Amino acid sequence: MTAPPAKATLKLPSYCYQCVAGPDLLQVRVEEGTAVAVEPNFCASEIHPGAGRVCVKAYGLVQKTYNPHRILSPMKRTNPKKGRGEDPGFQPISWEEALSLVAEKLNAVRASGLLDASGYPKVAASFGGGGTPQSYMGTFPAFLAAWGPVDMGFGSGQGVKCTHSEHLYGEFWHRAFTVSADTPSCRYIIEVGCNIEASGGVVGVKRHADARARGLKRVQIEPHLSVTGASSAEWVPIRPKTDAAFLYALIHVLLHEEPRGSLDLAFLRERTASPYLVGAHGYYLRDPSSEKPLIWDEKRGEAAAYDTPGIKPALEGSYRARAVEIGPDGERLDEGELLGETAFEKLLAHMAPYTPEWASRICDVPAQTIRRLAGEFLEAASVGESIEIDGERLPLRPVAITLGKTVNNGWGGFECCWARTVAASLVGALEVPGGILGTTVRLNRPMSGRIESVKPGPDGFMDYPFNPTDREHWSPRPNIRNAYRTLVPLASDGPWSQALGPTHFAWMFLDGTPQGLPEVTFPEVWFLYRTNPAISFWDTQSLSEKMARFPFVVAFAYTRDESNHMADILLPECTDLEGLQLIRIGGTKYIEQFWEAEGFALRQPVIEARGEARDFTDIATELARRTGLIEDYNRAINRGVAAGLRLKGENYDYSLAPEKAHSCEEIWDAICRAASAELSEGAESEGLSWWREHGFRTRPFPRLEWYLYPALVRQGLRFELPYEERLYRIGRELAQRLHERGMTWWDKQLAEYQALPAWRDFPALWEKSVVAAGGKPEDFPFWLVTTRSMQYAWGANAGSELMREAAANIAGHGGVVINARAAARLGIAEGDLVEVRTPRRATQGRAVLREGIRPDTLLMVGQFGHWATPFARDLEVPSLNSLVPMSIDLTDATGSGADLVRVGLSRLRSRR
Amino acid sequence: MRRSGNSGGRIGPSLQKSWDRRAAANFIAGGCGSGLAILSSANALWSGNLEPSAFAAAAVLIALGLLFVWFEIGRPWRFLHVFFHPQTSWMTREAALAPPLLVALAATALSANRAAAAASALLALAFLATQARILRAARGIPAWREPLIQPLILSTGLAEGAGAALLFFAFAPVSERLFLSVLALAAVALRQFAWRFYCRRLESRGAPKGALAALQAIDKPVLWAATLAPFLFLLATFAFPLFAAPFAVTAGVSAIFGGVLIKGVIVTRAAFNQGFALPDLPGLAGTGGGASTRPGRS
Amino acid sequence: MTRWVMVADLERCVGCQTCTAACKEENATPPGVQWRRVLDMETGEYPDVRRIFLPVGCMHCDEPPCMDVCPSTATRQRADGIVTIDYDLCIGCGYCIVSCPYDARFRTDRARFAYGGRPNEAERKRFDERRLGVATKCNFCVERLDAGIAKGLSPGLDPEASPVCVNSCIASALYFGDIDDPQSGVWVLLSQKNHFRLHEELGTGPRLYYLWGSP
Repeated sequence: MTAPPAKATLKLPSYCYQCVAGPDLLQVRVEEGTAVAVEPNFCASEIHPGAGRVCVKAYGLVQKTYNPHRILSPMKRTNPKKGRGEDPGFQPISWEEALSLVAEKLNAVRASGLLDASGYPKVAASFGGGGTPQSYMGTFPAFLAAWGPVDMGFGSGQGVKCTHSEHLYGEFWHRAFTVSADTPSCRYIIEVGCNIEASGGVVGVKRHADARARGLKRVQIEPHLSVTGASSAEWVPIRPKTDAAFLYALIHVLLHEEPRGSLDLAFLRERTASPYLVGAHGYYLRDPSSEKPLIWDEKRGEAAAYDTPGIKPALEGSYRARAVEIGPDGERLDEGELLGETAFEKLLAHMAPYTPEWASRICDVPAQTIRRLAGEFLEAASVGESIEIDGERLPLRPVAITLGKTVNNGWGGFECCWARTVAASLVGALEVPGGILGTTVRLNRPMSGRIESVKPGPDGFMDYPFNPTDREHWSPRPNIRNAYRTLVPLASDGPWSQALGPTHFAWMFLDGTPQGLPEVTFPEVWFLYRTNPAISFWDTQSLSEKMARFPFVVAFAYTRDESNHMADILLPECTDLEGLQLIRIGGTKYIEQFWEAEGFALRQPVIEARGEARDFTDIATELARRTGLIEDYNRAINRGVAAGLRLKGENYDYSLAPEKAHSCEEIWDAICRAASAELSEGAESEGLSWWREHGFRTRPFPRLEWYLYPALVRQGLRFELPYEERLYRIGRELAQRLHERGMTWWDKQLAEYQALPAWRDFPALWEKSVVAAGGKPEDFPFWLVTTRSMQYAWGANAGSELMREAAANIAGHGGVVINARAAARLGIAEGDLVEVRTPRRATQGRAVLREGIRPDTLLMVGQFGHWATPFARDLEVPSLNSLVPMSIDLTDATGSGADLVRVGLSRLRSRR
Repeated sequence: MRRSGNSGGRIGPSLQKSWDRRAAANFIAGGCGSGLAILSSANALWSGNLEPSAFAAAAVLIALGLLFVWFEIGRPWRFLHVFFHPQTSWMTREAALAPPLLVALAATALSANRAAAAASALLALAFLATQARILRAARGIPAWREPLIQPLILSTGLAEGAGAALLFFAFAPVSERLFLSVLALAAVALRQFAWRFYCRRLESRGAPKGALAALQAIDKPVLWAATLAPFLFLLATFAFPLFAAPFAVTAGVSAIFGGVLIKGVIVTRAAFNQGFALPDLPGLAGTGGGASTRPGRS
Repeated sequence: MTRWVMVADLERCVGCQTCTAACKEENATPPGVQWRRVLDMETGEYPDVRRIFLPVGCMHCDEPPCMDVCPSTATRQRADGIVTIDYDLCIGCGYCIVSCPYDARFRTDRARFAYGGRPNEAERKRFDERRLGVATKCNFCVERLDAGIAKGLSPGLDPEASPVCVNSCIASALYFGDIDDPQSGVWVLLSQKNHFRLHEELGTGPRLYYLWGSP
């Protein structure tokens, strides 16, 4: 890859997509061939919702590029023994030798079959979360697509460090892989653990600041006062993992204490399943001939299929109707004159016991606070208001409840997501201006078109690509080791599904596969890129030990780290400022990334690649060539696998000749031309040189497409809420399938499939896990939680001196945050070295005493505990990840676990 | 190992690190030297006992103090720039007084001339006053910018000077030491008063807790070792003439020690900046009602 | 008369330290030296706690104590109020550092780099030996300002003529402008919102204003 000529001073456009809250469009100032500074690209200020500004992490890119610890030539392991205590003995080798070694291994795999005896792919690949590595790995996805089956389910935190329940249930309910408030129009947000100021990126911070300035009130419900809590109007400390109780009480107040007429009854009637009649067995009453769910038509005083025109559905009450009730596997449970209650009536009864007084005892939030917040929520919802967007009149419901990571994954996550979405639906604030929005889809198709993914499914709801649970189609043979297809119907079966399954199972099952699954094996070749599971996942000690048993590991390596410590080959690739790639920008993406523009942005080499680092595209092409896959590889690129963009469209064709190995510039020039053509409907064809100069190009994206509501109205569809008949049925079917094969170890998870989820004592599950690990609950009286560090999150920044320095200005970085009074009781002073322990593991860190944390909660910011990464290994920073166990018991039905653990705390020695 | 586990940057008062023991040494040696010059001159003018070696010693002390500062500055070879700002900088003024003071002291030492001694005393007094003003003008350090630092620096300079002068007259007959002894008693008493008022004022003005703690830690030693000890030993020189010399030496050393202690602690350990404080911010979004805060201050 | 001031809106600042990092990069300050930084402050006691982020740095005071004490005249105040340091005059006595009530000044005696004693390519390019052993601090990016004004640009409005921290602020919490110009953004903001300055009681006349709430 050639960099531009070394003129005096240049400003070259590029992007930073180190985290899902990107991309940020930036400029790099280059002086005589040396990158010296990153600046906002103010040329993008009109189209970028963050006014073209750039996240703090991007300012570390220059230092990242010139980090003296970088691996700058391919390396080969010389010590065959692997382990934390073993020196890998990495020795520099030539690219020729490195690629030969990798290709030789791959060709041997190919020759003997791509799957092993258990049916698992022999090649595995792990990438960092959120799909961000894909914005840096050039055409490597095309190589993997050409290769065939690859196990991408060895997680590095996926499923447990994400908003997992939201990803799965969110997509199911409202095409919401991530959920955001419609911040630009919202007036009132209850944030339950959501740390939007740290996780919403530049756009989130800008939008929320603007919203505060125009009067948005944000209430923060969380155990510690996060940076988001700091800028919220109110902080409500809540006991960890009791968020569902808080939300249930909120719903209770809306349903049982506020006047019914203050809710958005029209929305409930027309756009949800609230009027559907539910039979005695818990399934919808259906029309005996069409098998469509029935509702009670108040106009004619009789039951009618849900989609009968001109009816007025009854929201409340019980009614008799000629009907059939169909259970799992199509079993007809009842037929004839059946009594049915409306789903809404069921909801009323279900929520009746969850009073604020009840919740207060559980979550430690005063009942009057819950009542007040429910009242504020309802009032701010302004039921009845409307707004014109792009010429169309839509309801305006400027209220939102947003959920944070640990609220949103593991046990209780389903209940919280359900309650949040139901609360929104009660006031009609779902997928309308001001309310909560799903901002992207990763499981539904097409990935780049959320609105287009709305297709009619059964019973008047949106379709959803569940993994089948019926006898004929359910698969007892997982395609990859984490068994998502077998165990998690909601995870679907697309490219993202592998990382959305129970990714810790791939690791756990290496030491013992549960009954009914083919024996989990080690992959013969494992690729690693922009990920460090040995730090970022849980039970990091065991995980590292397992990693040491992987026979052949190829790591695309920036510096040495804890995961590539176990690698056999290290390959240095061009980092952020050295590589070439075009990505899609704008439209609607993760979190707050919904724009009024869409298009593409180029990442380009602003300097000559350092050392022998190679562009990822060149590496991928070379691997494809050496494994005889060049044609399939080129075809994958032509299909759009690399850039999410087909090279051939209606008015253009920039397809690569399939039989030839193309240079990196040739490939991206073709992709750039296709992008120009797509944006101009074939009128333009500017190639790489134009994009290098301009950096990005967009076209308007209609704001109307932020909202799903119009698409549902157009298609006459309803949100599948509040009654979860389909999930309930699927759960029963899955139970039958598993039990038919003698698999009972998933029974606890099967209980999560409920039509109306009940509160369970979620915190007790973690206390029980202490007992299971041989401890006494009273010895582990604290909850240890973690919180996102904006400066560190996602970017492999632990080795960055600049990020360390910037982050050090924010309290808690690098230590254990303890409530000042709780610390005083234990004789712990600021700066003391403390031990935080579970029954099985312990870690140490410096005490940071703050008032903004519950006395029963400890906090460790970010993910650390490095022992191999240069610079980071000297930081002495404790990590929650070393303490959290991996366990089936603490895994929920979606296959995720929650990022917290019960711990004990003691002082080791005073401040030095 | 890099220390981690921070509380969010420096917010509360933190100890300044720009001026260390070398700067303290200048205040100690310069103060002691100028005090010695003043007391020796007074003694000479009053009693006629002009001791040239005392003036020589004063010059050496003052020069040593400045040498310490020279070791501390970041660009020692630009030391002449120190003279560029006599309009407002007390450091320039201190530096500007040093050459004539040293000349006067040398002249006195060589000539034993009483006029030269008088000139030395005046210049030394001015020099001592600039040292007090240097600290007073350091607005970043509450323990320094307190106006009562001035009587404290002046009185401790005199007390140290008296202590040092006593060393030169330890073996002299009582009559020759009488005037000096009275001056020393007065200076030490004055210093104790200045110290008490200074400490009390700092407490009442909400000085950094760290500064108050550092001062509190030496309050008793100052009283006992720096005030009562010279007092008692000086009185003892009269009561026990046989041991007058060792008692005078002890009194002198303890008076000097008091200055070392006070200035050493003030310049190094009590030199907390004031940190950051917020006024009351009622209605600040995100803060509900807003009580003011000034972490780390009394 | 032009008098440059900076305004920080405490209701917008989220403590992200983007300004800190951007300043460090633009001004190539060594590790530990932060001309601009954001404090993370707490008030109250659990559960009635507030957390406030406070951007700080040189306040370019009307009556800069650092300037009065400086023996070498290295610290000066321009007509537009910006307090500057002449690195060729400064003797590094540290007197200004202890005289600043805002902990805004630094002195680095030996060259220090991100990863130890050796500079990387970018650090080598930006290294300025004149900054060793002398006082340094925020200068409101005065070179950018002057170069921008020379091009006819408006500081505070045109990024090219504005301090880097202001340009970088992702929350749009930092503003820069001429307080003597009633048309300027900062003038308008200060006339619309509550504001205060740090350590007003010292009479230094700091020119970093903090906004909160409406009067």
